Amino acid sequence: MTSRFKYFLGLTTAAMIGLSAISQAGAATLRMAWAQDATGLDPHKQTAFSSLRLLELIYEPLVRLDADLKIIPGVATSWEFSDDGKQLTFKLDPKAKFQNGAAVTSADVKASFERILDEKTGAANRANYLSIESIEAPDAGTVVFKLKQPDAPILTAMTDTNSSIVPATEIAAGTIGTKAIGSGPFKLEKWDPNSKEVLVANKEWAGGPTGVDGIEISVLPDETAILAAMRTGQVDFALLNDPLIATLVPNEPKLQLNRAPLLAYHVLQLNPARKPMNELAVRQAISCAVDRQAVLDTASLGEGRVTGPLTMPFFASDPNSLFCYKQDVEKAKKLMADAGFADGFTATVIAATGEPPTAAAEAQVLQSQLAEIGVKLDIKMMELNVYVDTWLKGDFDMAVALNGGRPDPYTMYNRYWTKNGNLQKVSNFADDSLDALLLQGRAETDPEKRKAIFADFDKQLAEKAPWIWLYTGFGYTAQQKNVQGFVPMPTGSLVSLGKVTIQ
Amino acid sequence: MNYVIRRLKAFPLVLIGVSVVVFVAIRLVPGDSITAMLGTEAGLLTPQQRDSLAIYFGIDQPWPIQYWRWFTGLFSGDLGISVTYGKPVLTVILERFPLTLELALLSMLIALSIGVPAGVFAATRNERPADLGVRIAAMIGQSTPSFVVGLILIYILSAGFGVLPTMGIFTPFWQDPLENLSQMILPAVTLGCAFAASVTRVSRSAMLDVLSDDYVRTARSKGASERSVIWRHALPNALVPVVTLSGIEFGYLLGGAVIVEQIYALPGLGRMVLEAILQRDYALVQGAVLFIALNFMIVNLLVDLAYAALDPRIRLEGR
Amino acid sequence: MRVVKAIFSHPSGRIGGAIVLLYLVVALLGAVGLTPHDPLMQYRIDRLQAPSSSYLMGTDLFGRDVMSRLMKGVGQSFTVAFFSVAFATLAGTVLGLTAAWYGKRWDTVMMRLMDVLLAFPAILLALLIVTIVGPGTWTSVAAISIVYTPIFTRVVRGPALSLKEREFVDAARTFGSSRSYILTRHLLLNLVAPLTVQVTLALAWALLTEAGLSFLGLGTQPPASSLGLMLSDARNLMEQAPWLLAFPAVAIMLSILGFNLLGDALRDILDPKTRRA
Repeated sequence: MTSRFKYFLGLTTAAMIGLSAISQAGAATLRMAWAQDATGLDPHKQTAFSSLRLLELIYEPLVRLDADLKIIPGVATSWEFSDDGKQLTFKLDPKAKFQNGAAVTSADVKASFERILDEKTGAANRANYLSIESIEAPDAGTVVFKLKQPDAPILTAMTDTNSSIVPATEIAAGTIGTKAIGSGPFKLEKWDPNSKEVLVANKEWAGGPTGVDGIEISVLPDETAILAAMRTGQVDFALLNDPLIATLVPNEPKLQLNRAPLLAYHVLQLNPARKPMNELAVRQAISCAVDRQAVLDTASLGEGRVTGPLTMPFFASDPNSLFCYKQDVEKAKKLMADAGFADGFTATVIAATGEPPTAAAEAQVLQSQLAEIGVKLDIKMMELNVYVDTWLKGDFDMAVALNGGRPDPYTMYNRYWTKNGNLQKVSNFADDSLDALLLQGRAETDPEKRKAIFADFDKQLAEKAPWIWLYTGFGYTAQQKNVQGFVPMPTGSLVSLGKVTIQ
Repeated sequence: MNYVIRRLKAFPLVLIGVSVVVFVAIRLVPGDSITAMLGTEAGLLTPQQRDSLAIYFGIDQPWPIQYWRWFTGLFSGDLGISVTYGKPVLTVILERFPLTLELALLSMLIALSIGVPAGVFAATRNERPADLGVRIAAMIGQSTPSFVVGLILIYILSAGFGVLPTMGIFTPFWQDPLENLSQMILPAVTLGCAFAASVTRVSRSAMLDVLSDDYVRTARSKGASERSVIWRHALPNALVPVVTLSGIEFGYLLGGAVIVEQIYALPGLGRMVLEAILQRDYALVQGAVLFIALNFMIVNLLVDLAYAALDPRIRLEGR
Repeated sequence: MRVVKAIFSHPSGRIGGAIVLLYLVVALLGAVGLTPHDPLMQYRIDRLQAPSSSYLMGTDLFGRDVMSRLMKGVGQSFTVAFFSVAFATLAGTVLGLTAAWYGKRWDTVMMRLMDVLLAFPAILLALLIVTIVGPGTWTSVAAISIVYTPIFTRVVRGPALSLKEREFVDAARTFGSSRSYILTRHLLLNLVAPLTVQVTLALAWALLTEAGLSFLGLGTQPPASSLGLMLSDARNLMEQAPWLLAFPAVAIMLSILGFNLLGDALRDILDPKTRRA
């Protein structure tokens, strides 16, 4: 479009709508936007990325993670494993208060964890706490978890927003999920689902004071609209998912893009229960035929990093050391021929529409790459919910997915690769040595030894290739340059908004 | 009057039909409220957890019982509870409806205030260049999908000028008229484009028809000025088909303009239903579709009545 | 033949006819593979190229040739539009004719059923159907034809009712013509004119609906292309690559314009009583 044409059209339309829309509201309220709204308020049940982003501003867990995934204080100020690793003791922050004015006590912690452990609650994190034998509260400021066996990942699990501490009184009243009362930096004043949230600063926040008086979150389902609103200065801070949009942000002089490498991984899941993916050679051939960097370059415009199964920096291996991480079509063809599939085969790959936004593009690049070794992929796009339903049943040949990561390898993968993992039906792959390595890593408390165990796990998983791990993307936030103090996190967490200021 | 009663009598039957269709259709979609809420994590639920969630969402009973429960509730004005909003369905719908209503009214206003004068103007210059110009513009307007108009408007305004009215938020007109209009004007223009084009075309041809009628010729021969012939004598009759057209279009718009609401992030009825379908918020989908259908039928009845009132030649008989 | 001649002597018919013909040729070329490039071929080094002599309409995110995809996409959009209108016409004609002919209860039941479908918001109905069955070419066809069936039913039923009472049908009856003979010969033949007009206009609407469904990700599935899907894909790239938006947008507008113009001309020619612009 020529600039003169732009000018003319803009003039007429601008005149038509009498534009004066750029309003600079009270500087102390952070105007925020995101494309997907929270789906509920129960911190123990909500697992949607969007819900967690809201709830982590309202609720606090016992401990938190910092930007390097090290554990730092939350509601608890200190913690300690006993020497035999079977007892974990927390000291609570005496300043910590719920937003209803009550102090956070050990009774609240006990009640919260008992709620999580209660099967009827349907808590998302329950599976991580099965080694808890009992919870004791010797005084108001001390909580002791007694464990059936040493469990190193349990502390990391407790950093999750899904393990937030909620008031015992609200549990008794049955109002968790309808009223949001936490001990975090912001109070939820108004929630208008799929439209907006109004948060006000919690003056009594133990970690306070907050840098802004409140946050107003608008739900703008189209990220193009979010970018437009940021350009016009109507929004100070936004969460972005689509790399195609995020990469436009740095072109704007007033805007800043924050990137954080995420733990979540883009993956091509094969179904080893189906022919011919039950053949190791076929799976390996697919792994060799895929050019992971090309998938990343096209689908996400190069925004991310090629990854192996383990995505957390402390545990991750160098991708180049893993099996066939450099595309090798000749080797792939040979493997196919060895398995008796020299002529290739046809398979269906499922992907969810818009979730992640790159799914359709990834499927199309993979389709064209696998065509080179004679594997013909039919792409079947599905509405997210239909996809989830199909995925949970393991009813697919292959699936393009973006699966969530966890800071601890055991917590991240036991669901898929231990023999009684809850999602064994999805992975359809039981392997003795993977199972053994995970259990070993769970019991081991020495960080260096754990690292060695999981390095082996990483290598074996890539070589057995039940799935083809592709890459991890970035989590994006965009902000006006006058917003200061935001710290991007690999978990995608927005918790540092508690300290953000507007200049 | 008989006619009206006969039409009204058909309402309950049609509404029951609509409610059965939507009830079954939404349940035929794979996945349910539980997978919608938990996503892939739903796979981590134990059977017991699943059952208690099913009871919570009211989807534990067989379909006929669920339907009967919902249907009997209708008579006491209870459309059920929306699980995404945690509020009664009717409340949620009525919160969203003002926006949809205003958007429909505004785009009709735009369409009529551009379309009628343009149509009349073209008719008085029948087959001359000005007429052709108007007709071509109207034809193009009618052939451009609203989402193309919307995308292009947004692109030009934001990329070219860095201006854009607030999106995603709806301020009711009575709270802040200016803010409200700045939010609604772009979507209304987007929807109004094609609408105005059809109004132009219909009013032009209706005007041409009327201008060739005898009584207009009589008026002319009596020496009435051209202006008075057109605006006083001809226009009122030419408006009949325009009223019909706008009424029908208005009825459609009351159902929510899904794509335009999506593009402009407007919390209207159309987007709400779309999201309710994706979230498997069964009660909300059922309630909203029923509400939209009822509106549509009422508007259509009113259009027919207006048609009869404006044009005495029409008798309302079995259509 | 007479009609074709008439179309081409009618000003808007000439333009509309020419546009539709052009699209048919383009779709045909796309269907037999006479495109500048393979529409599915991903030229990795040429991703997101602006229009140039080697790629007349530029390339997309994958390095595929936009012009080739557009040609293929026109065929796809037209296939969906043609089949859905064909099914809707067929279903609508059968339902409308039988409703008018048998009258009474069958008529009431049919018309109430059509009322139910009409009262349903069209795009939501299509959307529900697509989510149930899963997206794809034939699902779109099914969804769009279900949405349009009631309209055709009404178009047929009205005139059929009045024709039924006319003298020539009575005459045929007294001469002992069979029921199906009367239905097809007398009624249907007289309905050809209004139906043709309606079909042409419905094609324009079907193109629009297909584009809308694909735009929401519920129509044509990748890696195939359709006009709506190309627009939808262009949406997040419209700033880096405006050509991805521009060409499909113009293509959609022109195709709908073509059918609208043709429909208008046909109305003037076949149905001289009602003159609309």
